[in-house]
Amino acid sequence: MKIALLTILLSLALCPPAWAKNQRLVLHWLPQAQFAGYLMAEEKGFYAARGVNLTIIPGGPDVGSARMLEEGRADFATMFLSTAVARRGEGMDVVHIGQIVHQSALMLVARTDSDIRRLEDLDGRRVGMWGPDFQIQPRALFQRLGIEVQVVEQAPSMDLFMRGGLDAVSAMWYNEYHTLMSYGLEEGDMRTFFFRDLELNFPEDGLYCLRDTFDRDPAAAQAVALATLDGWAYVFAHPEEALEMIIRRMKGHKIKANRAHQRWMLSRMRDIIEAGNPALRLALTREDYEHAARILREQGFIQTTPGYEDFVMESSP
Amino acid sequence: MKLSLAVRLSALILACTTIIFTLVVGYAYVVSRETIVDLARQNGAALAQATANRINAQFLATAKVTDTVAATLEDADLSQSFLVDLGRRILASNPGIFGTATAFEPQAFTRDQTYFAPYSYRQDSRITSTSLGSEGYNYFAKDWYQLARELNKPIWTEPYYDEGGGDTLMITYSAPFSRRTPRDLQTAGVVTADIDLAWLQKLVSSVQVFSSGYVFLLSRYGAYIAHPDPELIMNETIFTHAEDLGLDTLRNLGREMVTGKAGFSEFSDLPGVGEAYVSYLPLPEERWSLGVVLPKAELLAGVNRVTHVMTGIGLAGFTVLAVVILLLSASITRPLRALTRAARDISTGDLDQELPALGRSDEVGELAASFFSMKASLKAHIASLTAATAARERIESELRIARDIQMGILPKIFPPFPQRPEIDVFATILPAREVGGDLYDFFFLDENRFCFLIGDVSGKGVPAAFFMAVTKTLIKVVAEREPDPGRILAKVNDDLATDNESCMFVTLFLAILDTRDGQVVYANAGHNPPLLLRGGRPPAWIESLEEPMAGAMPEVEYGTGSLKMTAGDTIFLHTDGVGEAMNTHQALFSDARLLETAAIQAGSSATDLIRAVSYAVTNWADGAEQSDDITMLAVRYLGHEKRS
Amino acid sequence: MNIETRIEGTKTLLTVTGRMDALSAPAFEAACVDLLEKGHMTLVANLAGLEYISSAGLRSILGAAKKLKSAGGSLSFCGLCGMVDEVFRVSGFLKLFKVHASLAQALEE
Repeated sequence: MKIALLTILLSLALCPPAWAKNQRLVLHWLPQAQFAGYLMAEEKGFYAARGVNLTIIPGGPDVGSARMLEEGRADFATMFLSTAVARRGEGMDVVHIGQIVHQSALMLVARTDSDIRRLEDLDGRRVGMWGPDFQIQPRALFQRLGIEVQVVEQAPSMDLFMRGGLDAVSAMWYNEYHTLMSYGLEEGDMRTFFFRDLELNFPEDGLYCLRDTFDRDPAAAQAVALATLDGWAYVFAHPEEALEMIIRRMKGHKIKANRAHQRWMLSRMRDIIEAGNPALRLALTREDYEHAARILREQGFIQTTPGYEDFVMESSP
Repeated sequence: MKLSLAVRLSALILACTTIIFTLVVGYAYVVSRETIVDLARQNGAALAQATANRINAQFLATAKVTDTVAATLEDADLSQSFLVDLGRRILASNPGIFGTATAFEPQAFTRDQTYFAPYSYRQDSRITSTSLGSEGYNYFAKDWYQLARELNKPIWTEPYYDEGGGDTLMITYSAPFSRRTPRDLQTAGVVTADIDLAWLQKLVSSVQVFSSGYVFLLSRYGAYIAHPDPELIMNETIFTHAEDLGLDTLRNLGREMVTGKAGFSEFSDLPGVGEAYVSYLPLPEERWSLGVVLPKAELLAGVNRVTHVMTGIGLAGFTVLAVVILLLSASITRPLRALTRAARDISTGDLDQELPALGRSDEVGELAASFFSMKASLKAHIASLTAATAARERIESELRIARDIQMGILPKIFPPFPQRPEIDVFATILPAREVGGDLYDFFFLDENRFCFLIGDVSGKGVPAAFFMAVTKTLIKVVAEREPDPGRILAKVNDDLATDNESCMFVTLFLAILDTRDGQVVYANAGHNPPLLLRGGRPPAWIESLEEPMAGAMPEVEYGTGSLKMTAGDTIFLHTDGVGEAMNTHQALFSDARLLETAAIQAGSSATDLIRAVSYAVTNWADGAEQSDDITMLAVRYLGHEKRS
Repeated sequence: MNIETRIEGTKTLLTVTGRMDALSAPAFEAACVDLLEKGHMTLVANLAGLEYISSAGLRSILGAAKKLKSAGGSLSFCGLCGMVDEVFRVSGFLKLFKVHASLAQALEE
């Protein structure tokens, strides 16, 4: 009897059962074109094709992807590079398994009919920003320029800016910038400042997991990352199909969705994922990492940053 | 291209009526359209205004209440219970308000509380109170708080879905309130009133605009608040809608509406409607805008229907008109063609063709009747013409014969007596066109006596010719028996006058020359005197004895004159045709000119003399028609000695 | 040419005025014949007003005279003057016809 039990336990321990591979990937915001690649990979079974039984958990205002990872409620997560580094600083042993967005989409927007012509004109003016993760680049910029701005926490609606309550506002090129256009602003009505052009080109969305997760099954982590790229490749090759899928999902989640906005978002995601090179890649270069890490340190965002090898897992086979 | 009268007539009339009809219908259509569109513009604007007013009324009421509350909060004694009670009372007395909150600035209510925002709202049929603000809900960054606070004035937020997870569309009016501090007035927070927009969406969707028209509502940023397509509401702005469909026209409409303009535009491809007019105006209170969509097809249905019917009537009318014209013109051209055929037959000489009987009394009938009478008179005319021509030809042939006979009996061989050198005789007759009655003759009575004569029968034609022949013959017969010219003429006269029923008369001059000594005896019955040309002397007339022409009355006595010719003398006899020859100016040759001409020819032979006079007369006439015969006979005595 | 007819006892007087030429001459002959048919046998022609006479006029006179003569009537003249008188003489009419010295005498004789 004991031998039988032992055998069963042993075999259970030695042969990882199928259910052990049911992984969860949490996204860092609500379903939208920003996450088309992941969602399409799930739909098309790319994760399964690579041997990973993956479920995607959509993010949102109540869902912090990093926290879910930390709490073990998800195995993989997407998040900004700066967020992951910050978490590392707080003690979460998070590792990087694949960089998806290679170019920063963060920008500042002012109205052309205002008197803000150069960034220096923002001295002493009201600038809208989101939470801490999104304030690193702007703060670094203003420090470099030697100006001080009044930081106002901005709501997602861009309403305060539209009503003239802010002189400049933060926006993601693929999202809030088009929101402004959807309010009737022409591109000529907006003066834009892209952080990618201001030596603050932080790579953004990437795939992360806890070190334990990676050590336990690096192949799975790699599979997740590769399948994600497959998803993005498929999305770029079939944009209309991707759009349909996104709209469907968003409606399913009762999220406000319109084609024009998602189409814009998808096109911009392609721009920042390809970043000038149509061959999709997962690698986060040492240069990009160390540049971002340095800014983070300088801004006092984090005291010490992990070394490149210690943080970026996909470089090691 | 030769088109028949019927086709040309039809084509012209139909073309004209088509043009007129098209102009009339076209004008009516255009004017009607304009009128209807104009009416639509007015009605659309009125409808939009009415709808807007109803919306505004509700919103204004809410704003007023909230502003009042904000004002009272300035000096009121604030306690939690007061505020909660305030909230409940607001709800109780304002059924349109769904919820109300009084949210304070951080530490503004109590120093140890960051968030303080009592909030009362309706749940089912009760009023519930709660408190907003926590770690998970930072209301300072929410639009309803932040906008009023940062802009420091009352605002209407953009519509949003109730966070309770419901499908209710809400809008919040937020008014900042201040609190008096020892130093100044400081913003202490905001008072809010939430309105549920379900009633608004129902109001808008209940507005009847034809059957496919509708009213839509846009927020200050163009987001669809109310629209018949629920997919659009709160999902799209008019700009994303335009972007998705690639419609610049829609984008422009959005810009117009969002910037608070009022207007009336035409669209050819409005989504879901197609061709339509949009009447739009702003709702300034909350910077919304309202549009009324008037589908063109329905708008113009009436006009189009009328126009179609009119066109249908027109086309039917044309068909009838065409048929009538064709029939009418055929009824004209058919008889015309028949008459044409008849005319052609007649022109070939067939006058016996029966004319088509038309039995009409109008112009065509009159034409046929004229044709008929024309044919009849043509026939008669041709018949009489033919008869006359035949008769004339008969007469002319008789006349020709008469002329031939007449000329035949006059001696024409010259010299007539070559073996008699005592005399030189020449004669000529220039006949007029008409057969005349001039005659001359000469013959030897015996060996020594030479008779010569000239005469002129009164009248013309066959009777004159006949009489002339009779006279010539008679004279010859009488002269052979009677030596005295006077008695010869008397006898001839008696014979002619007796059997002369037809009143023909003849003038005569008869002379007998004795060739032995040149003695001449003569008689004259009313004939113009001859010329005697003696050598060395001017020509002189041989005086008339004033005796009448022969053939008038019998038993007239004629005297005999005598003269003596010497060798070289010439007697020139002529008829009055010579002197009476007219030129083109109707001037006579005259006896004077004859004298002149003869004088020049003194000493000439008889032939030369006559030829000269003949030439002179012909020259004189110069082509004028000769009305009378011109007869000349010249006898020149050469003397007895020549004969040997 | 104008011909006025007047009955003077047993004689009929024709007063001829104007010109007797080829056109008007037949009218004289016709007038005489007409009178003859009405039974007027003794005609006197007053030619005082006659300005001109042609050979056609002479023939007309002859024609009238012949018809009268064959019917047993007569034609005489008066009032000859000027050209008419000359023509009558030259053509031998004076020897053919009775010419009265005056109108009065013409009506008497």
